[in-house]
Amino acid sequence: MTDFHSMAKVSVGQILGLVEAVDEVGGVADAATISREVEMDVDRLGPILVAAEFLGLVTVEDGDIRITELSRKLLTAGVRERKRIVREIIDDLPAFRLVMEMARSSSTPLGRQEVVQALSDRVGSHQAEDVFNALVYWGRYAELVRYDSESEQLTVRVAQT
Amino acid sequence: MGDAQPLLQVKDVSKSYFDQGKEFKILDLIRFELAERDFVCLVGPSGCGKSTLLRIIVGLDTPTSGQVLFEGHPIRADNPQVAMVFQSFALFPWLTVAQNVELGLEALHEDPAKRRTVAKKFIDAVGLTGFENAYPRELSGGMKQRVGIARALTIEPLLLCMDEPFSSLDALTAQNLRDEILQLWSNPDLPPEAVLMVTHSIEEAVYLADRVIVLSSRPGRMVAELEIDLPRPRNRKDPEFYGWVDEIYSLIV
Repeated sequence: MTDFHSMAKVSVGQILGLVEAVDEVGGVADAATISREVEMDVDRLGPILVAAEFLGLVTVEDGDIRITELSRKLLTAGVRERKRIVREIIDDLPAFRLVMEMARSSSTPLGRQEVVQALSDRVGSHQAEDVFNALVYWGRYAELVRYDSESEQLTVRVAQT
Repeated sequence: MGDAQPLLQVKDVSKSYFDQGKEFKILDLIRFELAERDFVCLVGPSGCGKSTLLRIIVGLDTPTSGQVLFEGHPIRADNPQVAMVFQSFALFPWLTVAQNVELGLEALHEDPAKRRTVAKKFIDAVGLTGFENAYPRELSGGMKQRVGIARALTIEPLLLCMDEPFSSLDALTAQNLRDEILQLWSNPDLPPEAVLMVTHSIEEAVYLADRVIVLSSRPGRMVAELEIDLPRPRNRKDPEFYGWVDEIYSLIV
């Protein structure tokens, strides 16, 4: 569950961009080459790599980045299909499941504080905010979550197919 | 194309600024045409006047001499067949994604329900469904530019003009958005019919365009108009791709 916080500062576009950059050089590339090509140092590329690996879109071993079958599917998919693929991945993540279960069993929208507190119990307070932000961003992208930043309330959303 | 009328005609457009009686020429006799289904990139060194040219083409600025015709008629800034996407995204921070997108329709005086339906369609087309009630501050740079693109598409333009739309994004996000623009352009069910994009990235121009118009440094003159006949999807690692990039570089520097 703790790894989910790595996705807080990474966007869908960056992950897709990374997968494509590796695909263009034949599906395997060393991290140093990619870092040079996309002009991102390890501080910026690192979290994107961790998130892509966490989602099962690349494997990283001995500095080599390798794209997976799932990545290939993602690359050829349109906007809707991409969302469906990401939805299937994140729907299975423990942090996500925890919050979705909380939201489904609650008769009222969940407050931000309530969710952050529940996450703190699992991942520690230092990561709970990041996990919450990742949940909102990726949950919105996958159309599983509706979040209102004014009222700080989170509800479950039924995705379009 | 045959004898069909071009979508856009840029006819000997020149632009000068005058300061204390002295003339500063920015653009000199630019002439090209653009047809439906074209994807054209304008490239040139910084200061070559390419952004000024784009502003003239969409009617936001006037040429000192020459003319821009859209479907045979002089261009006007309020032409609903032409939309513009800006480098800086141009979003209102106090409005949500949906409200920013709907703004594109206000000038057309559509009723609110219709505005919502149209905005929803284009929010979905750029992958922003789920973020309708998010504010710009909650979005990544790439997402912000998707809002700009969705807003431009709501008026269902024939021609989409883009001024360095990806240059403030990181390289990974930019590449992902380039592909999405190509998907939109090649989708017959969605606007736009044609794209005219200004970029300083030669690689970006070769990746995207059917045709690249190369401008010289100030005053901007047309140095070349090249048909990029590489099949799609293009691979930036392909030697032929690099041949084009190399050729354009040699024309500019």
